[in-house]
Amino acid sequence: MFYLKVLEITSLYTILVLGVYLMTGLTGLFSLGQGGFVSIGAYTAAIAFMKFNLPFPVALIMAVVMGAVLGFLIGIPTLRLRRDYFLLITFGLGEMVRAALLYLSQLTGGALGMAGMPRMVGLPLILISIIFITFILYSLKRSRFGRNCVAVRDDEMAASMMGINVYAQKMKVFIISSAITAYGGALYAFNILFIEPNLFNWLESGRLIIITFVGGLNSIAGVIVASAIYYSFGEFFRFIDVWRDVLLGVVVILVVIFRPGGLFQGLELLPKKLIEKVKRERL
Amino acid sequence: MSILKIDSVSKYFGGVAAVVDFSMIQDENEITGIIGPNGAGKTTVFNLITGVYSMDNGRIFFMNKDITESPAHKRTEAGISRTFQNIRLFKNLNVLDNMKVACGWKVRYSLWEEMIRLPRVIREEREIDEKARHFLEYLGLTQYTDQKPNNLPYGIQRRLELARTLIAEPKLLLLDEPAAGLNPREVVSLMGMINKLQQDYKLSIIIVEHHMELIMKICSLIHVLDFGKKIAEGKPEDIKKNELVLHAYLGDEG
Repeated sequence: MFYLKVLEITSLYTILVLGVYLMTGLTGLFSLGQGGFVSIGAYTAAIAFMKFNLPFPVALIMAVVMGAVLGFLIGIPTLRLRRDYFLLITFGLGEMVRAALLYLSQLTGGALGMAGMPRMVGLPLILISIIFITFILYSLKRSRFGRNCVAVRDDEMAASMMGINVYAQKMKVFIISSAITAYGGALYAFNILFIEPNLFNWLESGRLIIITFVGGLNSIAGVIVASAIYYSFGEFFRFIDVWRDVLLGVVVILVVIFRPGGLFQGLELLPKKLIEKVKRERL
Repeated sequence: MSILKIDSVSKYFGGVAAVVDFSMIQDENEITGIIGPNGAGKTTVFNLITGVYSMDNGRIFFMNKDITESPAHKRTEAGISRTFQNIRLFKNLNVLDNMKVACGWKVRYSLWEEMIRLPRVIREEREIDEKARHFLEYLGLTQYTDQKPNNLPYGIQRRLELARTLIAEPKLLLLDEPAAGLNPREVVSLMGMINKLQQDYKLSIIIVEHHMELIMKICSLIHVLDFGKKIAEGKPEDIKKNELVLHAYLGDEG
């Protein structure tokens, strides 16, 4: 039972990490406001279901749409800015979401949070979601969209000379990323069954970014593994408390020094590639 | 027939005049050179043509269309491709993907199709793959296909940049110091290459270069810039004898 719970929580966070991967890993956009999008997804779904009595699938879809729309609206003024300003502004926006959720207490329950959602999300749905999202991300990564993302990350000026509309590309990335993150938030609300405004602050957003880096900027498989290790480890070793983050800090430093491309570098765990590799090593 | 017409364009950075009142006409299927001492504004001219900078004055016409206000990526789609003075390959993409990036705007599949990888996406990706390999082969880069650009020798990186411009099938090619950092033998082969691809693909080419031999040999027309102003324009043999040009390059003693 405990292990199942750990697996569920780990998987939920992995969805969030995947959302951040597209943005930070592939495109090099750093946002400290993704925690805000988790909350937005969670609250949108919870409010739609609890206060407006909408069916659960509709509530889920609303969370995704809300994430995408807000991503779009926030992207309009911010994505033209330099990346460091983008980071600062998303940080501010994430904290604004937190403040807004506290303030709009009639709708959100304020600091008391929201509880009483039925448990609509179990491990199967979370895992299927991970597989589906991974499939989408991997499809994007290996066609035009993914190449454009990496080009924009490496050199925006050269990217625009390749016929890439840099602003539009970042916008698409931000929208998809935010939609995935909000979706993860909605699943969270209906699995953990309790949400409050302080659950996903900017530290949580920062952690998602760090895990992306440890896993490898060019590897979805690496990011999933890093996320699985970090969050399940965190559940098993709750008793060491703050030392978790100290340990993460040490790992990050080691990775940055010894494997700057992340644990997995550019490796993707694909059955086809692995078989090829094994064959090559036998020869 | 002119393909590019620059009409008294100016660009200032703060109080510094990078390019002042610059005009030129590029004819189709011609190779033109832009020369001048360091800091004369040569690369700025390229940045204005490709839309990296917006200009403060003047207009630019490409194939009789006013592109003065067009964003950079639209100009690439219209048929302008370029290389960079300090090579700008995408270091996290391998050689093949660097090629593919440059023709991404030609892709017809939509983001939604791409997300779930419909057969149409797979089909078009295969076409792009073939095309990229074709151009790599054309410039003799096939053996580097799977490598990361940073691991390649300088001359090869330059050639890859050239290959990358070709895959977009441009009409106008801008080469920013293509010979910089190449040894004499590589320069000779570069000259042959530029001539060859100009003929094979019916390109119009503008070259910014310090390498006088290369410029004098392959350009039919040369523009000379000094402190952002055009001080001379003419055939190579005339430029060689031009007083103002000699003065700009060598100072009073020359």
